Amino acid sequence: MTLTRSLSTLLTAAACTTLLAGAAPAADPIKIGVPVGLSGANSVVAPSVVQSAQLAVDEINAKGGVLGRQLALEVADDASGAAGAQKAFDSLVFQKKVDVLISMETSAARNAGLPIVTRGKVPYIYTSFYEGKSCSPFLYVNAWVPEQQVPPIVDYFAREKKAAKFFLIGSDYAFGRGMLAFTKAYVEKIGGKVVGEEYLPMDGSDWTPIISKLKAAAPDALITSTAGGAPNVTLTKQLRAAGVALPYGNLAVDEGTAKGMGTDAEGIYLSASYVTGIDSPANKTFLAAMQKKFGTELKTPNDLSVPEYEAVYAYKAAVEKAGGTDATKVLKALAEISVEGPRGKIAMSKQHHAPLTMYLGQVQADGGVKVIKSFADVDPGAQCPNLKD
Amino acid sequence: MPDLGSALRSHASPSLPGLPRSLGRIAIPALLAAVLVVGGPWILDTYTLNILVRALFVAIAALTVDVLWGYSGTLTFGQSAFFGIGAYALAIGFTQFGFGPWQALLALGAAVGIAAAVAGFVGWLSFYPGSTPLYASVVSLVLPIVLVQLLYSGGTFTGSSSGLVGFESFDVSLDNWFRLAGGAVLATLVIAWIVLSSDAGRVLGAMRDNDERCAYLGIDTARVRIALSVVMGVVAALAGYGYVGFSGVAAPENAGFVFGTQLVVMVALGGRGSLIGAVIGALVIEVASAYLSSSLPFVWELIVGVAFVLVIVVLPGGLFGSLREASAAMHPRLAALFARTASSISLATLDRVAPTPDRNAVVVEADGVSKHFGSLSVLSGVSFTARQGELVSIVGPNGAGKTTLIRCLADGRERSEGTVRVCGHSIGRLPPDRVVGLGLGRKFQAASVFETLSVADCLRVARSRSERPSLVAASPVLALPAAARAVVESSGLAERLDLQARFLSHGLKQALELAMVLALDPQVLLLDEPTAGLTRAERQGFAAILTDLVARERLCVLIIEHDLDFVRQISSRIILLHQGRVALDGPVADIVDDPLIREIYTGSTRPKPAEAKP
Amino acid sequence: MITPVLDIVTTAAILFIVSAGLLIVFGVMKIINFAHASFITVGAYTALVASHLGLPPVLAPAAAFLVGGLIGAAAERVVVRRLYGRPLDAILATWGLSIVIGQLVTLVFGREVQFVPAPVSGTLAILGADYSSYRLLLVVAAFVIAGLFTVLLNGTRLGLSTRAVIMNENLAQGLGIDSTRVRLITFGIGCGLAAIAGALITPLASVDPNMGLSWLIGAFMLVMISGGSLLTLGLSCFVLGGLQVLTSTFISPILGGLTIAVLAAVALRLRPEGFARA
Repeated sequence: MTLTRSLSTLLTAAACTTLLAGAAPAADPIKIGVPVGLSGANSVVAPSVVQSAQLAVDEINAKGGVLGRQLALEVADDASGAAGAQKAFDSLVFQKKVDVLISMETSAARNAGLPIVTRGKVPYIYTSFYEGKSCSPFLYVNAWVPEQQVPPIVDYFAREKKAAKFFLIGSDYAFGRGMLAFTKAYVEKIGGKVVGEEYLPMDGSDWTPIISKLKAAAPDALITSTAGGAPNVTLTKQLRAAGVALPYGNLAVDEGTAKGMGTDAEGIYLSASYVTGIDSPANKTFLAAMQKKFGTELKTPNDLSVPEYEAVYAYKAAVEKAGGTDATKVLKALAEISVEGPRGKIAMSKQHHAPLTMYLGQVQADGGVKVIKSFADVDPGAQCPNLKD
Repeated sequence: MPDLGSALRSHASPSLPGLPRSLGRIAIPALLAAVLVVGGPWILDTYTLNILVRALFVAIAALTVDVLWGYSGTLTFGQSAFFGIGAYALAIGFTQFGFGPWQALLALGAAVGIAAAVAGFVGWLSFYPGSTPLYASVVSLVLPIVLVQLLYSGGTFTGSSSGLVGFESFDVSLDNWFRLAGGAVLATLVIAWIVLSSDAGRVLGAMRDNDERCAYLGIDTARVRIALSVVMGVVAALAGYGYVGFSGVAAPENAGFVFGTQLVVMVALGGRGSLIGAVIGALVIEVASAYLSSSLPFVWELIVGVAFVLVIVVLPGGLFGSLREASAAMHPRLAALFARTASSISLATLDRVAPTPDRNAVVVEADGVSKHFGSLSVLSGVSFTARQGELVSIVGPNGAGKTTLIRCLADGRERSEGTVRVCGHSIGRLPPDRVVGLGLGRKFQAASVFETLSVADCLRVARSRSERPSLVAASPVLALPAAARAVVESSGLAERLDLQARFLSHGLKQALELAMVLALDPQVLLLDEPTAGLTRAERQGFAAILTDLVARERLCVLIIEHDLDFVRQISSRIILLHQGRVALDGPVADIVDDPLIREIYTGSTRPKPAEAKP
Repeated sequence: MITPVLDIVTTAAILFIVSAGLLIVFGVMKIINFAHASFITVGAYTALVASHLGLPPVLAPAAAFLVGGLIGAAAERVVVRRLYGRPLDAILATWGLSIVIGQLVTLVFGREVQFVPAPVSGTLAILGADYSSYRLLLVVAAFVIAGLFTVLLNGTRLGLSTRAVIMNENLAQGLGIDSTRVRLITFGIGCGLAAIAGALITPLASVDPNMGLSWLIGAFMLVMISGGSLLTLGLSCFVLGGLQVLTSTFISPILGGLTIAVLAAVALRLRPEGFARA
């Protein structure tokens, strides 16, 4: 009797425990914060960035998530500027308490957000190309820097177009000035000459006087580096309206924006780490998945949005390698992992930056980009020599 | 006088010695707020504290907007520029020189100094005799735009479009930042409340209600406004300094036009002219937008926009004003809590040496005064003198130039040619407030008083030229010259000292204005059709007052009148103006029966009028 | 050399087109319509919709005028009518109105930047330089608008009533002119003009919910110093617009953006009533 009773007690206890374990709530989702310019200068490209993040999260969740936990996206508007970024980062880090920040932003927003990232001790994967030399133990970058992007265009103009005099136009902020400073140095290094360097504030939309100066200086080639989105468009439109037909290298345009510009964009040269025409199985699978998920709402994947997709996967890999979302371990793991994505194999192994395959392309009449040349594994150079890892 | 004063003081409501009585009314809410400020960090979470610290610094900037707009009537979009000056002074200082106590002090000094200089310059540009409130708003609009463009063009020194970030700042815990910011808001509120409730604060309300009347009471409104701008600019700069000291990011958006208009929206929604409304508006909007901007970004701004339009069009009092009215309607005691007018004022007479009965020095001299508008000549060659103890009526048909003559006597900038001397001094090109200082008082045709001020406050403002009003206290005693006091008591104003001027009848308003002008203790009194609209009894009372003033106080009164019977009754002398010239000038008896008057008034074809008799 | 001159002329034309609507409202109603910027935006989005619907580009300004005019008339009826005695409050209320309109546009169209193709592209060889045809076209448009409004004001009954109301509203009312209706129509026309401006400038810029804002301050300052005369407005646009172009070209584009605002503020200090002779 006692044995049956103790056995049944044991069995009941065992049953209860299994039931309880089964009924225990699923593990908390891992939150990915995406502060991005839903309004302001970046509002043109922000939707494509959000779509990439959404696809990556959906794909990963469908396969079981990361370490058994689902991923959740928290998007916040940084208004493409420093003040808005502060609010967005504060909200994501301290209110929504995200585990990681993965996004593309203007340099102003990134610079304003970094102190908050440092205070909150949250890893931040920056997926936008930028002017380089932004360094923090918490920051990783999987997009290009000037050392990777500028030489292909300048070399091409100098050699194929026989350009000796260059005119530079940009938006007056960190990216614009940084890119053009590097360009000027590189032009002079290869023996060319910069005959003009003009800037307009980020919110400026009237390029008339600068275009007049351009025409007066009669250069052989034009290289521009404006803030993404609206300034790019207004400059190109006004250039075309003024009849400027020089070889035109745009350091800040992406395929989506180029498509939106219509015929005005035809002939623009760009140098990017991603174009939709990349002929690889990974890219084709990616494009098909995007098309399936978003249908007619799809925004053209571009050099600002695809790194976002790959970054989510990079974070997944780092968390799996670190065995959890602990910031210190994840940050260490981010330097060691690599992902295979539409852009090929990406590893943020060089001082928190990544060697990338770059493509020199020209925008066609239909808005697509034709690849003229490609360069494999271009090194980002010494971006953060003081970071110890 | 001292006996009366101290007797009154002991009779008044109890208060701590040395502290102004107005403090008593807000002591309890202030203490409650202080408790919230000190204890807040223990109940609120980190994110909310973060938002609140920033919101509190913004609230200080909103307070400056309320003082300028709600209290003194200048709509300003430019306080954001001063906020930005403070913000960038700190950011630039710490970026260039690193962080340390003397760098912090240097940046603070720069913030205050630059803000004061810019505010002074902008004030000088906006407030000058003859400026309009619209122009002041225009300048306040241009200021942040100019500043932001300068920031954009500053390269790495100002961080251009990106702003400045990454500099080391004060190492204060979040909790203590909250206490600091909260304490700052509280201190600003209390100080503002005390000053604005004081007698000096009444002058601001007077300027908002009726700037011209202030000028004619001898108040240099331009100077007061400029001084106010400087103080408010410095306070806003200090708020910006604190804001960036906490947040560590200085961006052009902190100094721009959009932020400037947001401050106005906050004040409007919270309730302009109530001080606490500005703080409430700022806190509500900042906190709500931080929480809602991710979930309902577009809808939230739409709601704010609609609310703003509603408030401007139909609910000028904003949130706080509506609360005040609703609670006043519900319970009269609550109404008393919110009421602003002081409780009991008592009149006193100023000691003065009575003038000798036969003093009759010349106090008004006009010599060849002319006024042209292009080719149209309104006055030509008007010359006369007037003495103490004379009551001169200026008569003439419409268009003769009577009011223009009064204007030329009171405002040195009006006349085209000729000289005017008041009490022996030439008025040159002096503006009205300076002419008042020479001993002249002008009463307007339409009663020109301060609509939202109480009767007592109107009179007190009238005295502010002679007695510097206290910046801290609201005196319970109103001391007036005997003549002014006589008018106040005989007209019935003495029973209505707490009543707002806009609720007075027409006759009482006229009496109030007369009392205000007499409070200046003038030697020359210019009256423009003062009996228009008065009943017969009021007119008689008025006549009695005037004759008394002239006989006992030896005033010189120049009065424009149409009622020839009244003129005949009270005047000692008549000047007849016709088509801008003096047609007749002499004692009442001589003039009244002169056929010229009849002909001019009824109109007849006569060649040029005869020369004025001396 | 010719290019800066053409820059000045075309910039003046654009400024005139943008400011004309604001001037008409200020001249007749003595209030500043701070919602002017949002009506520019409305016009731009109307052009966007028109181009999506496949309408010929010539119709876009007309469509914009209709849409802007109707919304403007509604706004006058509901909001502005109550503010005629309070000019400062009118500025604020119309500013609030612009926030509301801007947010509604954002809700409907989203925050992204959109593009409208230029109806006329390419350049024209003029006086030895290749200059943007579209910009030159805008000069023509400016004259057309100025001409239309002079005709409207001087040649029609409505114009006569409007001039009467401008000069002496009480007297006009006493003579039986329905000044309320005049104001309603005028405000509608002013907003409609702003919308036309928006439709006309989109090919040179981008279309986003805040695009009108950058034009507001310049237009406002130009109207204030013009004091109510269309002719003076044209001259002010030419002089100040010219100075803006020269400053941007030869000194710095950033300071160029300041020129109109600063110079107009100084001019107003010297002559507060504006420079109209009338």
